[in-house]
Amino acid sequence: MLARSRTLPKTALIAFALAALITSPSGAADKRSMILATTTSVRDSGLLDTLLPEFTEATGIRVRVIAVGTGAALRMGREGNADLLLTHAPASEKVLVDEGIVTRRTPFMENFFVIAGPAKDPAKISSAISPEDAIRRIDAAGAGWVSRSDDSGTHKREKALFHAAGLDPEADRDRLVRTGTGMGLSLQIAGERRYYILSDIGTFLAFHKRVGLEVLSKPGSSLRNIYSILQLDSSRFERPLHTSEAEELERFLLTKKTQRAIGAFGLDKFGRTLFTPLKLADDAHASPVSK
Amino acid sequence: MIEDTQPPSIALSAHNLHVRRGRGKDAFSLGVDYLDLHAGEVLVILGPNGAGKSTLLRALAGLERSVAKDLIRGGDGPVTLVFQRPAALSGSAEMNVRAALLGKGIPEEVKRQRVTRALDRFDIQALASHDARTLSGGELRRLALARAFVLEPEVLLLDEPFDDLDAEGQRILSLDLQQAIEDTNVAVAMVTHDLRRALLLADRIAVLAPGRLAQHGLRDEVLLRPNTRDIARTVGMTNLASGRVCRQAGGVSWIQIEPGFEVPTTAALNPEQEAWIGIRPEHLKLDVGRGDGESIGKAVVESLISDGLATVATLRVHDRRFTTHLLSGRGLARRLRPGDPVSLAVRPDQVHALPA
Amino acid sequence: MLDPELQTLVEITLRTLWVCGSALLLALLGGVPIGILLGSSQFISRGLLVSSVNAGMGAPPVVVGLIGSILLARSGPLGSWNLLYTPYAMIITSTAIALPLVIGLTLAAVGSLDDEWELQVRTLGIPRHWRIWLLIREIRMGLLAAVIAALGGILSEVGAVNMVGGNIAGETRVLTTAIMMHTSMGEYEIAMSQATVLFGNLLLLAGLLTWLQQSGRKR
Repeated sequence: MLARSRTLPKTALIAFALAALITSPSGAADKRSMILATTTSVRDSGLLDTLLPEFTEATGIRVRVIAVGTGAALRMGREGNADLLLTHAPASEKVLVDEGIVTRRTPFMENFFVIAGPAKDPAKISSAISPEDAIRRIDAAGAGWVSRSDDSGTHKREKALFHAAGLDPEADRDRLVRTGTGMGLSLQIAGERRYYILSDIGTFLAFHKRVGLEVLSKPGSSLRNIYSILQLDSSRFERPLHTSEAEELERFLLTKKTQRAIGAFGLDKFGRTLFTPLKLADDAHASPVSK
Repeated sequence: MIEDTQPPSIALSAHNLHVRRGRGKDAFSLGVDYLDLHAGEVLVILGPNGAGKSTLLRALAGLERSVAKDLIRGGDGPVTLVFQRPAALSGSAEMNVRAALLGKGIPEEVKRQRVTRALDRFDIQALASHDARTLSGGELRRLALARAFVLEPEVLLLDEPFDDLDAEGQRILSLDLQQAIEDTNVAVAMVTHDLRRALLLADRIAVLAPGRLAQHGLRDEVLLRPNTRDIARTVGMTNLASGRVCRQAGGVSWIQIEPGFEVPTTAALNPEQEAWIGIRPEHLKLDVGRGDGESIGKAVVESLISDGLATVATLRVHDRRFTTHLLSGRGLARRLRPGDPVSLAVRPDQVHALPA
Repeated sequence: MLDPELQTLVEITLRTLWVCGSALLLALLGGVPIGILLGSSQFISRGLLVSSVNAGMGAPPVVVGLIGSILLARSGPLGSWNLLYTPYAMIITSTAIALPLVIGLTLAAVGSLDDEWELQVRTLGIPRHWRIWLLIREIRMGLLAAVIAALGGILSEVGAVNMVGGNIAGETRVLTTAIMMHTSMGEYEIAMSQATVLFGNLLLLAGLLTWLQQSGRKR
């Protein structure tokens, strides 16, 4: 009894450690892989989970998706920490193009941002003539606003809208909440407080039942949300990028077949599509906000 | 306690041992030119606090980083030290004894025998399965001794082995220890502050002065002939005085401590020589006309303190104090009262004297 | 054939256990010897080391994750190892989070022994590796506390492993990062089932370790 109970803790530890090591993932040695830095909204929509398995199967290239804010994704590209970027902040993307870090920027799909708010719509933005007008009405009514404030693509767009409306997005105002966090949590905060918020359509659809907010904006050019593929210049970095894999992925995303899949995505889950493919000229039917 | 007529063999001999520790104010150093431990003998190490007794034991056990050290071993048996506060390993008493044999390549059967014998030797078989951390101070000490003896050591170093024990516990433990030493012929060095216990066990005595070995030799040689007054105090020679040789006759020198108070000694002194004397308390007698030594003068009883067995009588000769030991509860010890006049007597061969 | 959602859950759970188990093992293999060394020896820079261990025990995991992702990034000093966004980066980071905890608690356990403990065992002539065995045996309750603290720390940690692992499906997604992701995706049902599994694992491990601790204390 004595000898047995003495060795018990050690035995248990070793057993645990072995069990832990045995469960190590198999097939760790992949020959071809690449890092795709993308925005959380794309990852969270589930689109990539639908598209990428087919790509990996066809090419043997494993795509390691890192979902971060657009700001962080662009930074990863600038520093050579990703092989391909998938972002939705045209103005910031163009800076990288101008600097030569991005060798090719290819818009490949789009959807719309929406301004969501409580059904009662205290600022009466549903009758606004434009998104900028809606923002001005919210400001004039002193209605509550939730800002992402996390340098994401959505946040960049929010700031652009405020500028276009002639307002300073950084100004302190009453009933302004800066969350500094992801779209989902920000939507929930807006829902709890019954404030207005700018959201991408995909995340909004995933959350709208839970948060009880409505889409109050009409589609407008200033709410267009264009997703682009950014190829990076490998020669700028000390450690070469996986450029050939990145180019294969880009080609895959631009094929008719993939573009059609993008256009159909969301029907089974939300009963409506979320993205409009941009490289399918002959098949540009589904507008994401049309009901 | 050894019947052998052969001189005991040296188990451990330390030469030029020098330990230095700390810096500045806290610096401590201990130097010992040489010190021998003999098989089957007990060397008791005495000395004031801070003299380095425990340090010496640790150095002998090889646990001190000494500046210099030359340890010559008589054999190749184990050298082990039992600390003043023995550490109990978590587990049973038996496991504690068994742990000492870890990694020594001893067959299980032999191990079992040795563990049983060691537990028996210190009468703790009944505690074998008890959690060592629940043992009393006395039991733990016995366990630590069993743990040391299971090694069948050639040299055993004991730091205050009787600490924290009551009188009866000390008595029984010293009997067991004595028996174990006799059985195993181990060489023992023991640090203790308990002079009485030390004297019961000691074959040899080493006296440390702060930082150095002041004197060492056979028990009686050190007890009766300490080299200095400090050593005399350490070994319990409480009656110390100094004076001048005033007359000599028939190999006996009389030393005058003060007028009318002269002490005879057989020590070799020159006429008129300045000298200090020392008399062990058990050798200073109250003269009751039994011819017990030479009368040396009158004194007054100042106090009587008894521990039940012995009574320590403090006696005054003018402004000097002397002490003597009487058996409690009998004769003089019962009759004497503070203030009583007595006369003192000594045997000249029991008066130690050295030139001052 | 398992329902794919369940299959994913099992896969994520096994990966979580693998990452945490490996990190725990590494932290113990590294931390216990360092703790013993720091706890049982006296050298000049010991005080500095001990205080940096204490600082490390209080370091927020997110900071460890940030440092890890900067170091391991392709553009970072250890970029050539190609470790960022792999489970190994998660193991390294989790180990770094657990290591100070293990060292600190080992140190405390060794410190709770008598100052003379090592000398007393040494004078019994016990060979070095057996002395270490005895020491570990003696401080096993403290080590168990270290295991519990380290495991709790890394099993429930999310910020750091998300940064260095990237929460890649099928590669670096573990329970905590998956819970966070599904919550941000509004998939509360999946997040909840994963949270239940994580909590169940924590309960199971805490129960097992507490049982070990108590059966050890009784002796």
